Amino acid sequence: MKPILNIQDVSKSFGKEQILSHIDLTLEQNTVLSLVGSSGSGKTTLLKIIAGLETQDSGTIYLHGEEVSNMKPQHRNSIYLYQEALLFPHLNVFENIAFGLRLRKTPEALLKQKVTEMVSFLGMETHATKMSHQLSGGQRQRVSFGRAMIIEPSLLLLDEPFGALDSVTREKMQVLFKDLAKQMQISAVFVTHDLKEAIVMGDSIGKITKGELTQFSDLKSFYNDKDSGIKKEVEFWKQFN
Amino acid sequence: MRQKRRYRNFSNLLFIAIVTLPVASGLVYALLYSLGFIGLLNKGFTTDAWETILLGKPFWSSLGFSFYIAMVTIIISLTVSLSIAISWRKNLNKGALSSLIYLPLCFPGTVMAFFSYQTLSKSGLLSRIGFQLGWIDDLRMFPSWINDAYGIGIIITSVLLITPFFIILFSNLYTSEKVEEYVQLAKTFGASKRQVLLKVTLPILLKKASVTIYLFIIFVMGSYEVPLLLGRQDPQMISVAILQKIQKYNLYDIPKGYAMSVLYVVLVIGVLFILYRKNKTFFKTEMKHS
Repeated sequence: MKPILNIQDVSKSFGKEQILSHIDLTLEQNTVLSLVGSSGSGKTTLLKIIAGLETQDSGTIYLHGEEVSNMKPQHRNSIYLYQEALLFPHLNVFENIAFGLRLRKTPEALLKQKVTEMVSFLGMETHATKMSHQLSGGQRQRVSFGRAMIIEPSLLLLDEPFGALDSVTREKMQVLFKDLAKQMQISAVFVTHDLKEAIVMGDSIGKITKGELTQFSDLKSFYNDKDSGIKKEVEFWKQFN
Repeated sequence: MRQKRRYRNFSNLLFIAIVTLPVASGLVYALLYSLGFIGLLNKGFTTDAWETILLGKPFWSSLGFSFYIAMVTIIISLTVSLSIAISWRKNLNKGALSSLIYLPLCFPGTVMAFFSYQTLSKSGLLSRIGFQLGWIDDLRMFPSWINDAYGIGIIITSVLLITPFFIILFSNLYTSEKVEEYVQLAKTFGASKRQVLLKVTLPILLKKASVTIYLFIIFVMGSYEVPLLLGRQDPQMISVAILQKIQKYNLYDIPKGYAMSVLYVVLVIGVLFILYRKNKTFFKTEMKHS
């Protein structure tokens, strides 16, 4: 199968500090790649480069086989989602979800139908007219996903989207995202600090250490990697057994 | 807990003593004066002053003129300040410009009005430059921007006075409201530069600044020194018209001046009340997240 995302030899420095060094990465269609790494390892920079919000110093990026290395973010059809839901504060839930469709000048009847379906799928029927500040953290994040998914992006770039949520809401959101990704056949790169979340969410896993990426072909090889930290975590929990 | 309550009660009392009481007393005094209960030449209760004000043209034309000046000033000022705050964003946060932007705030209204007079009048700096460059044959050919019927001098001076406030406000809001992150998000959704501006940047900044904008409209409508120096006798802005009635030699005009001031305050409070009824969070600076 042709990969949806193919990154070849991408490097990036800020001043004298090398953030990313000769990154190679591939992502198959309709799969999720979990990207783990410590703070400041370059995960966010890599995501922003893929989205077109940062420019790489060298290397090439292909989306659907087309080179997009110097393409503006507007034309990449890759949505970058922050840790914060970033719902537009001047729009209600319905209009937030409709945002991307309105940009594409979708006919009003079709727009209403699609947004209503999405609102219903997210279980937000009773909140459709509420503003962002009237929602809980989990509800805001759900709307944020709905807003992204409704325009059927080629690629979803998620930068620790559940980082600010409590553990219960976080698990619910993981299930919701998996359902949405499966139903809408989404391809995504999912950045997280949480190893368990990385395994739950990803079909494959990549790890960035000091700007260098190791991509594991499957979850088993990530588990077996001595530097992944998984075995340490398993040992930690075993002591309570 | 008890101490906290005591502190809150004390704060409320202090607020009433310093803010509410003097304003309310002034209003009551003005109302009593306008109805003939008090005052130098009072003859007991009468609605003469109110009838003259409500049924006559001067109050309403002054109010309309003040509203026109305030709206034109705010629209120009918002356009200029938003353009500067958005396009010079990086320069406004560091370097000389970040300090220079505060400089116009040091000018009192009177000084700025004199500066405008020296620059914009028929015998002013611009007129003389135009004459020296041969653009006009006579200083009198220079357009009337001071003491003119359209209040151009008042508008220009008010714009110069309030635009720095808005530049600083929008520049700070851009950072505190994380507008850059919304902009980047919108770009990945496919928004063009124009769409980012019209559907993201402007709505977020204007919505957040709406209370301040409304208050500045009221501030410009009620300004005194600038229209006194740069305006003309007819039409007059509301503060000038009221003060002239109260301070003129004709003592019979004083109740009319007080009636005008009470009516103006009632109208402004009425508008604010309607805005509050339409949006209960109107006067809240912080929103509680659930």
